[in-house]
Amino acid sequence: MSEYLDIKKQLQACRSKEETFKSLVMLSKQLPRLSDDEKVEENKVKGCESAVWLISEEINDSRHFKADSDAKLMRGVLFAILSIVEGKSVADIQSMDIQAELTDLNLSSYLTSSRSNGVLAILEKIIAS
Amino acid sequence: MAFDPSLLRSQFPILSQQVNSHPLTYLDNAATTQKPACVLKAVHDYYCTSNANVHRGAHFLSDKATNQFEQAREVVQDFINAPLKSHIIWTKGTTESINMVAYGLEHILKQGDEILITSLEHHANLVPWQQLAFRTGARLRVLPLTSAGEWQEEFASYFTNRTRIFAATQVSNAIGTHTPLKEMLLRAKQQGAFTLVDGAQAVAHYPVDVEELDCDFYVFSGHKMYGPTGIGALYGKQHALEVLIPYQTGGEMVLKVAYQATEFNVLPYRLEAGTPNIEGAIGLAAASEFLNKQDRNALLEWEQKLANHVYTRLKKAGGIEIYSPEKHTTLVSFSVPNIHLIDLNGYLDGQGIGIRSGSHCTHPLMEQLGVHGTLRASFACYNTLEEADRFCDALFDAMELLGDE
Ligand SMILES: Cc1ncc(COP(=O)(O)O)c(C=O)c1O
Repeated sequence: MSEYLDIKKQLQACRSKEETFKSLVMLSKQLPRLSDDEKVEENKVKGCESAVWLISEEINDSRHFKADSDAKLMRGVLFAILSIVEGKSVADIQSMDIQAELTDLNLSSYLTSSRSNGVLAILEKIIAS
Repeated sequence: MAFDPSLLRSQFPILSQQVNSHPLTYLDNAATTQKPACVLKAVHDYYCTSNANVHRGAHFLSDKATNQFEQAREVVQDFINAPLKSHIIWTKGTTESINMVAYGLEHILKQGDEILITSLEHHANLVPWQQLAFRTGARLRVLPLTSAGEWQEEFASYFTNRTRIFAATQVSNAIGTHTPLKEMLLRAKQQGAFTLVDGAQAVAHYPVDVEELDCDFYVFSGHKMYGPTGIGALYGKQHALEVLIPYQTGGEMVLKVAYQATEFNVLPYRLEAGTPNIEGAIGLAAASEFLNKQDRNALLEWEQKLANHVYTRLKKAGGIEIYSPEKHTTLVSFSVPNIHLIDLNGYLDGQGIGIRSGSHCTHPLMEQLGVHGTLRASFACYNTLEEADRFCDALFDAMELLGDE
C-alpha cells in the first residue's frame, strides 16, 4: 500500500503531460520483466497497439499480478495499475473503480479509447481474472 | 499571389492553439489536413443563407442550394481538369469512390480474370479489390514496387491480357513514394484494362490533370486537401462511368419508377442515390478555390523543403531507420530500432506535436518493410521550419530519454 501511495504522490505531482510521461518511464524500470516463457499468446492482452502480457494467480484469497510490455510507457502504466490491484481479493478488485483511481493519478488521458493503447482492455482482463 | 507561409498559416484558426502547454505542432496532414477560414465560412454561409434539399423543390432556397451544389461540381471538375461536370460523382471520399467502382465493375469480371494493384496501396485500394476477386473468382495480383518507386522492366509481365482492372496510388500514404504511374497506366491500357488512380495523397500537393493522366477513374477525399470530412469525388471517363452498375439505388438516381422496373437517371445522378452531402460539396469547392488561389509550385516546394529538412536531420542524427525517399516527398516515415513507436509518440504528444504512429492502413507494406509500423511526420502548406525543428529536437530528446537499457 505504501508503494501505491508513493506512486500516487509522484504522479500527482506531475504538472504536465511531459512530466507524467517522464514519471511513467521512471516507474517502468520498477516493473519486473516477464520471461520469454511467460510472454506467450494466451497471456497477451488483445487490443493494444503495443504487445502487453498479463498473468495472475490466486494465493490465499488474494490475486497476484505480473505484467510486461514492449513499450516503456505501457510498462509504467502497468506498474501504476498493478499497484492499485496487487494482492487484493477478487471481490475487492471487482468493487473498485480503477478508472477513477487512474484519473486520480493524472492518467486519464491514457484511458481514452482513441489512444487504442489498450488500457481499457487491460482493466477488463484484470477484472475478469 | 506570392507565397508567405505565415500569412497562409493565419488563415487556419485551429493552428493557433496550445496543446499540453506547447504551441500545437500539427504534422499529421497525410491523415487529414486542417481547414482554412474560407472553407469554414462557405459551409457556415450555406446553412445561414441557402440550405434546402437539392434537385427537388421548385422554390427559392431549393434553387439556390441546387445552383451552389452544381457550381461546386464545376469547381471540382475544373480543379482536376475533367472534361465534363457530369464526370464528377460526389462520394464520401476515396474509400467510397473505390468501392463504387469495385462493385460497379463486378459484372465485367469472370473466373481467371486479373485485378492488378501495387504493393504500396492503402487498405482502401486493396481490400475492395480483394473482396471483388473473392466474389468473382478473379485473381488479385500485386506489382512489387519498392520504396524508391521506380519502374523496372520486369514489371511489364504483370500486365497480361487477363488484366481487367489496374488500380494504383499516385503517392504512398505510408512512406511518401511516388509510383511510376505513367509506365504502369500505359501497360494497363495496352491490355485494355480499366484503370483507377488513388489520388488521396496527391491532391493537396500536386496539381492534378486527369486528361493528361488519361486514367479511367480518379478518386480522392476532400478532407486531405483542406476541405471537410465526409466528401470526396469519383472522376470517371464517360464510357467508364457508364459501365458501372449503381451500387446504391433509391431516390435522386432515377427518372421513372414503377413496380415492374426503374429507369435510371443520367450521369452524374445515376451514381448519386439519396440526398447528397451538400455542405460537403460546397466546402470542397471552397477548398479547391483556396488551392487555386495559391502558387501551387511554391507550396509544393515549401512542403518538400520541410520534409527534406527533417529527412536530413534524422539521417545525420543516426540510429534512425528512414523508409521514405530522400527527395520529392512531403512526409518522412521512420522508426527507431529498440524504441517502441508509442513511447516516441507519447513523448511527442506531451510536447504538443501530433504525428501518426502505426501501420498507416498498409499491413502488407509494413510486412514488406519488415516492421510493425512507423512514425510519420507529414507536412502541409501551413507548417513552418520552426515546427520541423521542434519536431526533430523533441524526437532526439525522446530517444535520449527512452534509449537506455
Ligand atoms: C492513399 C490513400 N488511399 C485511400 C485513403 C482513404 O481515404 P478516406 O479514408 O478519406 O476514404 C487514404 C487515407 O487515409 C490514403 O492515404
